[in-house]
Amino acid sequence: MSKFTDSLEEKLMPIAGKISENRYLTSIRDGFMLAVPLITIGAVFLLLAFLPIPGYSDFMAKAFGPNWNTFFMRPFEATMSIMSIFVVFGIAYSLAGHYKIDGLNTAATALVAFLIFTPFIVNYTPEGAKKAIQVSGGIPVDWMGSKGLFVGILTAILSVEIVRFVIKRGWVIKMPKGVPPAVERAFSALIPAAIVAIIIDVIRMLFAMTSYGTIHQFIYTVLQIPLTRLGDTLPATLIANFFEGLFWSFGIHGANVVGSVMGPIWLALAAENLQAFQAGHPVPHIITQQFHDMYMLVGGSGSTLGLVLAMLFFSKSRQVKTVGKLAIVPGLFNINEPVIFGLPIVLNPIMVIPFILTPMILATLTYIVMSIGLVGHPTGVVIPWTTPPIIGGLLVSGFSGAVWQIIELVISFFIYLPFLRVVDRQYLEQEQAMAVESQKG
Amino acid sequence: MLKIILFCSSGSSTSMLIGKIEEAAKARGIEVVVDAYPEAQMEKYVEEADVVLLGPQVKFILPKAKKICSEKGVPVDVINPVVYGMMDGEKVLDQALSMANK
Repeated sequence: MSKFTDSLEEKLMPIAGKISENRYLTSIRDGFMLAVPLITIGAVFLLLAFLPIPGYSDFMAKAFGPNWNTFFMRPFEATMSIMSIFVVFGIAYSLAGHYKIDGLNTAATALVAFLIFTPFIVNYTPEGAKKAIQVSGGIPVDWMGSKGLFVGILTAILSVEIVRFVIKRGWVIKMPKGVPPAVERAFSALIPAAIVAIIIDVIRMLFAMTSYGTIHQFIYTVLQIPLTRLGDTLPATLIANFFEGLFWSFGIHGANVVGSVMGPIWLALAAENLQAFQAGHPVPHIITQQFHDMYMLVGGSGSTLGLVLAMLFFSKSRQVKTVGKLAIVPGLFNINEPVIFGLPIVLNPIMVIPFILTPMILATLTYIVMSIGLVGHPTGVVIPWTTPPIIGGLLVSGFSGAVWQIIELVISFFIYLPFLRVVDRQYLEQEQAMAVESQKG
Repeated sequence: MLKIILFCSSGSSTSMLIGKIEEAAKARGIEVVVDAYPEAQMEKYVEEADVVLLGPQVKFILPKAKKICSEKGVPVDVINPVVYGMMDGEKVLDQALSMANK
């Protein structure tokens, strides 16, 4: 190993370690894990309500009556459009686990804090009226969905920190011995939760004095919009992807590391897209979580499915063929550790070049074809990253997405092929040399 | 019986190893149970394990993993990258067995 790669690895490992040990980043990531299956369900139901097939809605209306799509819209409304609620819960639960304090009570407290921040005022436009009127006594779904995401993340972290501080100080009601643990737990959660409520309420009142009115409006304007706009740009995505590839080149799970930082932003963008899609508006963003998962990682980090196909059909050495066979099935589900460690790509200066470049080239091309309207923007449907290519494209962008993924496969195949040939030839020579040697012996 | 638990980022690539290790163990007549989970859930599962192994792609969590595992007295190590890439169940089993004997 050269000195350069040695020193680079020495620098990268601690970064990955720091990010993975950062309790906030990991609890945000793990907290989202609670939300993602639910968001997926909601997104798929929304898709079923608006299937982009001509005549679909007329047919359904005839078969099931004019209100047929409420069946699909309810699960959407109960999941995707209130996703911030379970993101708050999930993050608080996972951060509480990190501090080894009661997860359920703390998560419930964080949820309360989030609701204290939220004005219980709903905009309602009565029939015939031109302007919306404000109705009190309702929880505004508007701030429970993608728009409330960042406030949710921050509230969850703040609440858990307050609870931890209070518990650490010992400001909890202690029960005499012999009291059942369930009762004790209820009492010991009392004071931390009350203090959270008081502090959050004071913060809410302070924001009420500003021109923003609420912390929701403030965070949305000052933090969420600028951050998501930045995340939506191609340069930011290319940089993120460069690091993802660089980490993997040293055998570090790059998607995990980069995803900890970019995940919340990309998911917020996806959620905004889905809301526009639902409202029948054009989808605003190109770069979302699905852009990353489906169009930059065709077959896993580095878009290696094209490489695996090349390994299967155009390699002569036993090593490359064996890894190709091992890697093809998981590769279809975007899992590619066998190629990364088996070919290997890790610390292999020849393979690292296309591994880092391919997703960056694919990202740029995808961005272009989506900008000029050849391929549909990702609607924001959140599907698991393990969804196989072509099916994935079909789900997130419709027919054009599926076709584009096939083209991406071809492109990545041809980028990888010359590099693979070099590596394959090296292995073949080694294998032949070993065969000669064993014959001599 | 030996219980081996594998951890990686989401438990998906390690889960491919499960069958390979079980196959290798069966051929040698050793009773093993192998499971794979995301590393985020390590604390939840460490207790049931006799041996914990990490995928090489998450070797950067080794310090954290060592802390969690040593509390429960469970040996932990990282799988060799080449062994992992080739999904070599035999060698992973060898590693697990030698760690369990220590």
